[in-house]
Amino acid sequence: MGTDIGDLLEKRTVELPDLSRRVVAIDAFNTLYQFLSIIRQRDGTPLKDSQGRTTSHLSGILYRLTTLCEMGIKPILVFDGKPPHFKSATIKKRTGIREAASVRWADAKEKGLAEEAYKYAQASSKVDQTIIDDSMQLLEYMGIPCVQALSEGEAQAAYMVQQGDADYIGSQDYDSLLFGAPHVVRNLTITGKRKLPGKNIYVDVSPELIDLDNTLTKLGIDRSQLVDIAMCVGTDYNPGLENIGPKKALKLIREHGNIEAVLNTLGQTIEDLDAKKDFFLHPPVTDDYELKWKKPDSEAIFNFLCDEHDFSRARVAKAVERLEASADTGQKTLDQWF
Amino acid sequence: MFTATIDAALLKDSIETLTVLVDEARFRISPEGIAVRAVDPANVAMVSFDLTPNAFDDFSASDCEIGLDLTKITDILGVAERSDKVIIELDEQSKKLSIGIGQISYTLALLDPSTIRAEPRIPQLDLAAEIVINGKDLMKSVKAAEKISDHMSLGVEGETFFIEAKGDTDNMRQEMTREQLIDLKTGDVHSLFSLDYLTDMVKPASKSNEVTLHLGSDLPLKLNFNIANGEGKIGYLLAPRIESD
Repeated sequence: MGTDIGDLLEKRTVELPDLSRRVVAIDAFNTLYQFLSIIRQRDGTPLKDSQGRTTSHLSGILYRLTTLCEMGIKPILVFDGKPPHFKSATIKKRTGIREAASVRWADAKEKGLAEEAYKYAQASSKVDQTIIDDSMQLLEYMGIPCVQALSEGEAQAAYMVQQGDADYIGSQDYDSLLFGAPHVVRNLTITGKRKLPGKNIYVDVSPELIDLDNTLTKLGIDRSQLVDIAMCVGTDYNPGLENIGPKKALKLIREHGNIEAVLNTLGQTIEDLDAKKDFFLHPPVTDDYELKWKKPDSEAIFNFLCDEHDFSRARVAKAVERLEASADTGQKTLDQWF
Repeated sequence: MFTATIDAALLKDSIETLTVLVDEARFRISPEGIAVRAVDPANVAMVSFDLTPNAFDDFSASDCEIGLDLTKITDILGVAERSDKVIIELDEQSKKLSIGIGQISYTLALLDPSTIRAEPRIPQLDLAAEIVINGKDLMKSVKAAEKISDHMSLGVEGETFFIEAKGDTDNMRQEMTREQLIDLKTGDVHSLFSLDYLTDMVKPASKSNEVTLHLGSDLPLKLNFNIANGEGKIGYLLAPRIESD
């Protein structure tokens, strides 16, 4: 998902405590997909309650976000609104992939192919309305603010960082940079020991910071040209030009100045180019959001997770305890007066 | 170069004013005395500590800076009676500090000052109200507030200095007029502070007859008092909490 321009970017590895006291606007959909795809049983079945409802996302939200709060990080979850019409091809394709994966998962499970089954199970992850509603509900009980974006969540999150309401965007995708996010942090919710997909190898994953200005300075381009490069390589809104990777795209844009000139030279076109470029540079965003971190409502968390969704009371109690200990007390630091 | 002799009680009290916020500190030593400026690890409070040579029975020093593990010093001073004299001597060559208490002599390794957080600058604050209060009275008020909550408001309304604590269900309020205080410069202000920090700060302050509080609205609290018969000055600065619902 997202554009594949990672190789061009200036990245810096940090540790979670380095992000203490920072506000991070997290791309909710991106994160929920991660939870749904990683948090699974051995045969690939997601976590479920006694009524068969998926609970992997709830487990991810409770435990992973509590870890962030414990580090003093202040998360905000930004949910997608209506996708732009030119994303429909990508969305259709993803639905197709998911459905195919779902069939193959059932098949592999039947044949007893554990690894295959796990892989296809992951690929069949789907964020539906119930998952969104459940997630928002739990976040509210945990006292973590949610923001509803007009369109793409990453665009809204980028806007909030530009406004100074957040310090970083938390997302795995690089698209947030195209939307103008000054600072992006990756791997936030998957920090720690992680299995490489499709392999039996474990690696240590640390958060990674990307600074838009540093990247642009290093590449000697502006943001509009970064969007042009991404569109050459392919984004959620267009498939990309044939045989053009990030390095070649950079070279072409440097040489010709913009994507229009590149397309002219190559004799190619991109459908709705102007509208798509304009969407990256001026996405629809809203000021209608309120950022308030509240004390967790432990009673409501227990009711929701343990009574309704069959979570272990002892485990939830531990997480709630950690969350309560890290709850914002409104304590200021002296920093602002030095 | 640094050698000094000081009352164990005074040294203990001095170190205590620092240990309420930090475990290690940089001591700036000069012929004018000893100075420490330190911020707690959470950046919520700072202390400025100054002791003149007159606080010592004997003091001779040239300019130097040393890093000390305060937990260790506090522990060692536990063996001294309050009336004992403590003899301190710095060996700059071997980077050791020797502390003599009666017939006992400790030799302690110094910490590399560069590994301890640098001295903060002291913020310039415009705090409208000033309250001078007996240290014991202040400690009583803080203890009273602790029964109800983990934070308390300090403020001035007209001619009244007030202390207020709000818990989930219970409240506490204390009012003091000019007559019950040593001095009061009014200004309508109030700020909220964490009792975790205040309790620690008022403990050393309670030994002082006059503690001066400077208050603003949603601004840090300045809490100043003297030790060693005025030969030592302690100033705490505590960042406020912002009221949440």
